[in-house]
Amino acid sequence: MASTGLNSSVGPEPASADGPVVAGLLCYQDADTVGAVVAAVREGLAVHFADVTTQIVLVDAGSTDATEARAREALGDAGEILDIAAARSTADFLDLPYHGIPGKARAVRAILTAASERRAQACVILDAGVRTVTPDWVGWLARPVVERAFDFVSPFYQRHAFEGALTKGVVYPVVRALYGVRLRQPAAAEFACSGRLVDHVLQEDVWERSGSQLGIDIWLTTAAASGDFRLSEAALGIRAHGVRGEEALDLGTTIVQVVGSLFTDLERRAARWQRSRGLIPVEPPGAPSAAAPVAPNVDVERLIEACRLGYRELRDIWTWVLPPRTIVDLKKLLDRPVAEFRLDDELWARIVYDFAIGCRLRVAAREHLLRSLVPLYSGWLASYVLQVRDVSPEAADLRVETLAEAFDAQKSYLIARWRWPERLRTE
Amino acid sequence: MRDPRWYQHAVIYELPVKSFFDSNDDGIGDFPGLIDKLDYIESLGVTCLWLLPFYPSPLRDDGYDIADYCQIHPSYGTLEEFTRFLHAAHERRLRVVIELVLNHTSDEHAWFQRARLAPPGSTERDYYVWSDTDAKYRDARIIFVDSERSNWTWDGVARAHYWHRFFHHQPDLNFDNPAVLEELLRVVDFWLALGVDGFRLDAVPYLVERDGTSCENLPETHAVLKAIRRHIDERWPNRMLLAEANQWPADVRAYFGEGDECHMAYHFPLMPRVFMGLHVEDRQPLVDILRATPPIPDLCQWALFLRNHDELTLEMVNDDERDYMYLAYSADPQARLNLGIRRRLAPLLGNDRRRIELLNSLLFSFPGTPIVYYGDEIGMGDNTYLGDRNGVRTPMQWTSDRNARFSRTDPARLYSPVIMDPIYGYQAVNVEAQERDGSSLLQWMRNLIGLRKLFPALGLGSLEFLEPANRKVLAYVRRHGADTILCVANLSRSVQPVELDLGAFEGFIPVEMLGYTDFPVIGQPPYFLTLGPYGFYWFELQRRA
Repeated sequence: MASTGLNSSVGPEPASADGPVVAGLLCYQDADTVGAVVAAVREGLAVHFADVTTQIVLVDAGSTDATEARAREALGDAGEILDIAAARSTADFLDLPYHGIPGKARAVRAILTAASERRAQACVILDAGVRTVTPDWVGWLARPVVERAFDFVSPFYQRHAFEGALTKGVVYPVVRALYGVRLRQPAAAEFACSGRLVDHVLQEDVWERSGSQLGIDIWLTTAAASGDFRLSEAALGIRAHGVRGEEALDLGTTIVQVVGSLFTDLERRAARWQRSRGLIPVEPPGAPSAAAPVAPNVDVERLIEACRLGYRELRDIWTWVLPPRTIVDLKKLLDRPVAEFRLDDELWARIVYDFAIGCRLRVAAREHLLRSLVPLYSGWLASYVLQVRDVSPEAADLRVETLAEAFDAQKSYLIARWRWPERLRTE
Repeated sequence: MRDPRWYQHAVIYELPVKSFFDSNDDGIGDFPGLIDKLDYIESLGVTCLWLLPFYPSPLRDDGYDIADYCQIHPSYGTLEEFTRFLHAAHERRLRVVIELVLNHTSDEHAWFQRARLAPPGSTERDYYVWSDTDAKYRDARIIFVDSERSNWTWDGVARAHYWHRFFHHQPDLNFDNPAVLEELLRVVDFWLALGVDGFRLDAVPYLVERDGTSCENLPETHAVLKAIRRHIDERWPNRMLLAEANQWPADVRAYFGEGDECHMAYHFPLMPRVFMGLHVEDRQPLVDILRATPPIPDLCQWALFLRNHDELTLEMVNDDERDYMYLAYSADPQARLNLGIRRRLAPLLGNDRRRIELLNSLLFSFPGTPIVYYGDEIGMGDNTYLGDRNGVRTPMQWTSDRNARFSRTDPARLYSPVIMDPIYGYQAVNVEAQERDGSSLLQWMRNLIGLRKLFPALGLGSLEFLEPANRKVLAYVRRHGADTILCVANLSRSVQPVELDLGAFEGFIPVEMLGYTDFPVIGQPPYFLTLGPYGFYWFELQRRA
């Protein structure tokens, strides 16, 4: 195994326009998929960057299956494998269940470091566990960087209206409102970035933060969004992941990990997002056709009941972060019949922002507080599903845009309370 | 923690270890106690701790009389505990600045004991400044006029006079002897190797003496400081030197060198003029001193404070101003010490919350890095009957429990009595109570510190005064990068109107920064505002499409 590349003491030189395109693959227990992904990447590099030096860097996080063998077989002499498992640090140990690549942040850092050391003009990162990677993914992600001087290309996967709801209901509108960039699926595992952005993020403090394993995807997006960088989206079609043998995470854990990471980042970048105004248009993605995504099952009545239960059981915690008016509005909402259950967009935006402020003020144990958001999110999800289940995909997308505009409109609410918090309870 | 300019946008919290929290119930604060309270300090939002001296010392000048530069006073803990504290602070992204007293040592320091016995002319003897007569350096003023009659004291063992600019038990080191600087550089390396982020250099104007001069601010003194800075820059990146030079701004300017001497220096003359401007309800004292403040090199920064561990010094005001300040702020002579007033912030301001907030708004919006003195964030009081400056160094008031929960020891064993008067006593003023009170001064200070950190322009920006006809109103613009901030303050006890010439900002929208509230767009006519008693506004001037 080669070195991790993490301990290089030599500072990188700036990326050059004729530097290589580096494709980094993250893998862990991906024996079933890694061969196909490597083959697709090889082909993608050959087709889309025939006149450019290219290199594949594969980071394996200590797979115990045949991942490495399959990868070597597929790589041939086209790339190298870095091993991050041997140097796994205690920072990678999680109390929470976690699905994904162990030491994800260090793995991404290893790839970016390798790209920086090679003065790459572009670096594209892919998850080797994704079954739907095609050669075009490499082109769609990396060509805007190489040919059109974009610094960050975020994927846009084709999803059913019910899919990726946490992104639609929280992550996207918050990132958009705060940083003014319309990246509809921030925090995705796949992305491409310029050499300039690679060098920038390697200097950021995101790598040493606690929780980096969970938050690195979001934090890299916000690092790009909060700097002087050009951002774009690339439509990649449907993303389907192979099974790594884990059971699905429960919603509470997902919210603690995703929303918690988002809120952590807000604290670090407060000086930046409080100055960001307006909405910077992001390059619209292409639109590769794909089969219609399958609708996941959503039990609206169960979600509403979870929200009602939360109101009964968790209202006391909510009073630490939500002002009385919000609590009253929630009660009115919960008294409505299912057919009329509509959570107002601006109310939802204020709830999310109030929880961000609550986390910042440490009004309660962080995980406890974030878990108390789950019934409220369930209420929002129920309301959202009721509104989009009978409409076209385009209308569902528009509904998400309307929600995002509410988050935009309530940004001043967030800033005012962030700067001069109203301490609702102090004992 | 890699930012080489960290001190330029820091918020510093000054504290004596002995006064903060006692972990072993011996009546004296210590480093384990300080570790216990780091969460509190972090919650304030400050980014740097300045620790008062914690070295072994006979404590005849509260630790500024150092007997061993490379150890911890046993009352405060051990080196291992200090290191643990340092790591804990760094984990919270708090920098740590400690004291380095270059000018003098305690007369109990081994160097002085050795010097007394060493033959005249020897290197060991010449660690200090000796003379057969007390007639040398007659042009040097006496600083502690209340306690010292001469800068020379006779030593019977050495059979010579030794030089001291401060107390007679604090002999001055002799920087004409190269061995002294070498010794002190070893001290510097010792602490920087442990990880401290900087030094407050105590009493720097007095390092070198020359006949026929005031023995202050001499070129030879600056050469010593440059040598220290060079030594540090070559070995220890991102460390900071803060000069204590109680001088006029033009003289202090020299302590920055050309960016090759001290990174920071206190702005001493500003402090009394803030209090004076407030009392006379006129902006002119503040405007005058800030206009008389010379520009400083790019990498340098002023250190600003309202109060600290010393008296409110009135050395840098004229005689009339000093008389006025005594009458205005220390009608009780007991509060006077040397050329100053030994009181904390809240008592100086009559415990008026609006005045406390106003002065903090100035501290946090003038060019420089603000320093908050421990306890002032909750409005602690003082005890002017404790002698010297001990009345502003009383135990931190954590709760209304015995000893303010600073310590569980017998009250008689405390290093200092806690404040117990009905207004400022620990039963009325303490952290616990203010944590529970959403509108307390403590919560207000947290908000202000948080806001300050969002806007580097408040510390680094340029300063332009507006000149409205109403002199009770102070208005100034701070610009830095893309940020433009307008600050307006009412120095009087009554509501004031003001018309501001903001024509240069026509089309901008003033957004009140505390509440993020849009004010009417600026046009060509004078911009009219009213301010409540001691009221202040900070506006972010935004240009919107």
